[in-house]
Amino acid sequence: MNIRLALSRLASMILCLSFGMLLFQGIAALDMDNRVTGAAAHYLSNAPAETGANNIVSAILFDYRAFDTLGESTVIFTAVCGIAMLFPRKQILHSARGLSFITRRGIGFVAPFILMYAAAIILTGHLSPGGGFQGGTVLATFTVLMCVVYGSGFESTHLPPWKKDLLESAGALLFAGVGLFGLIVGTGFLSNLSAGFPSGAPGTLFSAGSIPFLNIAVALKVGAGLSTIFYCMINIVEDRRGS
Amino acid sequence: MLMLGYSSAVVIFCTGLYTIMARRNLFKTVIGLSLMEASVLLVIVTSGFIPGGVPPIAPFRGVAVNPLPHAFTLTAIVIGASDIALALAFIVKLNKHYGTADIDKIRGLRG
Repeated sequence: MNIRLALSRLASMILCLSFGMLLFQGIAALDMDNRVTGAAAHYLSNAPAETGANNIVSAILFDYRAFDTLGESTVIFTAVCGIAMLFPRKQILHSARGLSFITRRGIGFVAPFILMYAAAIILTGHLSPGGGFQGGTVLATFTVLMCVVYGSGFESTHLPPWKKDLLESAGALLFAGVGLFGLIVGTGFLSNLSAGFPSGAPGTLFSAGSIPFLNIAVALKVGAGLSTIFYCMINIVEDRRGS
Repeated sequence: MLMLGYSSAVVIFCTGLYTIMARRNLFKTVIGLSLMEASVLLVIVTSGFIPGGVPPIAPFRGVAVNPLPHAFTLTAIVIGASDIALALAFIVKLNKHYGTADIDKIRGLRG
């Protein structure tokens, strides 16, 4: 290591440390009165009655700020589009062969339970911690696991990119459809109970109006999107190993 | 307890900043970026915490913590993940084009 590099690293370290001091002083000046105020207090006291969802975070994400969530799922879509455009999308004919026989059998035994876990997280998103984003990520993990264990040829034949595209578009259409339903009824875009979605008994699986539908839509979008990102990147890796 | 959360967020942020400033490898830059992002999310989540609070799931048994930071963090995590995936995709392309991921050696416009 030459002396110039060492000096530049030392300088950046000192700069980082002084910046950290500054940040810490800013944090120490925060008032920690430990009270929930403003909109959050309203959500905490009124969300179960206004949305029918027991999980307040879900109620905020998919009811009070559902338009925000729609924009955010568009961000995922844009990222997937960019990655898919950067990498050529072609079928892998000959690829990684996957892992050993014992691993394949073991994963075959575990696979239904992983899917069940994902479904449970998605469908009870309005009752317990979880929801569309987390469940969708578990679904994407499932496809990654399939790709690693059974080889990428398995994934490209059983879950080809056009199927994932279809799932992602279905999620987007479901989200927009739920929103437009409120618009047609006349209560506003993405309105929940006021648009006539049945509220159900609080605390049961079929409750909270449109929130379970939005959970499913977001899960489809996130799962298919992350899985497409992984597929595009593994494509490149396989390419390089082959050439 | 709150100060511990904030302090670790500051330490993680400075680690990420140092990684970005001192390392020339683009992969390490993205890792630093994700570290900084994680620390910001830690600050947001910590700011909603109330000592002795319960999770914001009705019916509450006690004082519930602030649910708003959780919702914001959830959106920010997903955006950050797709952000980082896009950055990594660009780096893979750059690496393929120039044969290196070193920011000092990637210079000039080339066809």
